Amino acid sequence: MNGDPIFQFKDVSLRVGDLTILKDLSFSVNKGEFLCVLGASGAGKSSLLRMFNALSSPSEGDIYFRGKVVDSDIPSVRKNVGVLFQNPVVFSGSIKENLMIAGRWNHNITQLLDHELLSILQQVGLTKVKLDQNARDLSGGEQQRLALACTLLNHPQVLLLDEPTSNLDYKLAQAIMDLVDKLRKTLDLTIIAVSHDHLLMRKYAQRVILLSKGQIVDEGSFKALDKRQAFDKAGLNEDEVQDET
Amino acid sequence: MKMRCKMRPDFYVLNWSDVLVSLVFIAFSIILIKKWKLGLEKTLLIGTFRTFIQLTAMGYVLTWFFDQQHWAFMLSLLMIMIMIASFEGTRRQKKDIPHFFPAMLVSLTGSAIFILGTIMLFILDVKPWYSPYAAIPIGGMIIGNGLNSTSLTANRFVAELKHREKEIETLLSLGASPKQAVYDAMKASMHASLIPNINGLMTVGLVQLPGVMTGQILAGIDPIIAVRYQIMIMYMWFTTAAMANMIMLAIVYRQFFTKKMQLRRELLREKA
Repeated sequence: MNGDPIFQFKDVSLRVGDLTILKDLSFSVNKGEFLCVLGASGAGKSSLLRMFNALSSPSEGDIYFRGKVVDSDIPSVRKNVGVLFQNPVVFSGSIKENLMIAGRWNHNITQLLDHELLSILQQVGLTKVKLDQNARDLSGGEQQRLALACTLLNHPQVLLLDEPTSNLDYKLAQAIMDLVDKLRKTLDLTIIAVSHDHLLMRKYAQRVILLSKGQIVDEGSFKALDKRQAFDKAGLNEDEVQDET
Repeated sequence: MKMRCKMRPDFYVLNWSDVLVSLVFIAFSIILIKKWKLGLEKTLLIGTFRTFIQLTAMGYVLTWFFDQQHWAFMLSLLMIMIMIASFEGTRRQKKDIPHFFPAMLVSLTGSAIFILGTIMLFILDVKPWYSPYAAIPIGGMIIGNGLNSTSLTANRFVAELKHREKEIETLLSLGASPKQAVYDAMKASMHASLIPNINGLMTVGLVQLPGVMTGQILAGIDPIIAVRYQIMIMYMWFTTAAMANMIMLAIVYRQFFTKKMQLRRELLREKA
């Protein structure tokens, strides 16, 4: 972490109709950082994550990516900010077709040779699959890895994780998170993850933003938040989390 | 017209007394309905009466229309038909699509201008070019088929968007434009509405004789000439559906995205 902000949120609020989803959020994300946004269900985590790659825009306030307002160049933001969703979308067809669908509007990607595609798959730990294998036959963890490979085709600077391991067992979840952390180091990625599982995230995230009812209630390292018993206050009871995992 | 149609000397002219005799079918149906105690007698009698009145009135109206030999009248009439079809198409939508009425208006007008224009000027070569004898029935077929096809496609398109919401947002996140992100949804909805038209091209004449051809043959036209008309109509039928759908979808898909290339998810939610 070098203190160089890649994202800045300034007084960001999100309202849908009469409902306030997020309120007055101001924070920065530094380049190369692993930031985790934690909160209970309905805290507004996923709504917040959608704003990082402009899938939704704030009702008030501004979001800056590398110093520029996100809305000013959305195509560039989306190419530089990849997302790994909770339930990855796997298209019908082979693994190769999935990679091609993901990159069909990017000329560099469509010209990639099979061995180059295989090396991307290797990067995400899919070493035993074949390019012509049906993607929907892959297991949950493998589908998550394929989705990650599709995202990496764009060479993103930032990777957003939307509860990417919530449908996986703890061992698989850890394997995916180990992979993401390894990619962060090797590809110099910035990771922004939203999760309700602070037990899993504390191994990887360097900083935590604690969200409750759409507002930031605490921020800092896991150690500092533990001292302040912030997780209990935000309704992220450890026993509850252990039950879920 | 390039060619005068040959009429058979024994062609069947129905007079009003013949039409009255056809009421025997209704009488027979009423007997069946009573026997089965379906309780539909009153509705059938109203329907029978309305068919008689509506079609007789339409006959006189058409006779009057055919006497109006002016291009402005004909274009106005076609525009009114398109507006009624657009209104009906908008009413038929299961979900509200923003600006669907103008989308229908543009797609039906565009396909009508191209297809009706081609038929009137280059295929039938009618004189004058706005001849109501050709423009009204053919224009009606184009607009009617365009209406049915675009209504079906639009309904299917919205269902596809709803079904593919995550897929669309994944593609947007990977850098796709809104058009690229919904391309598969557009393709699936086009397929669903065009396949019946293609099946029609495959089976026409094998399973049943189409209405226009049957009507012409009954009216004493040489079957070979009736067939030529039907072939033209089948080709026109498909192109109308394809063209109207493409124009409509090109307008409609944009309504589901903001200017910031974000999917308007609220349009896909069920209303409380």
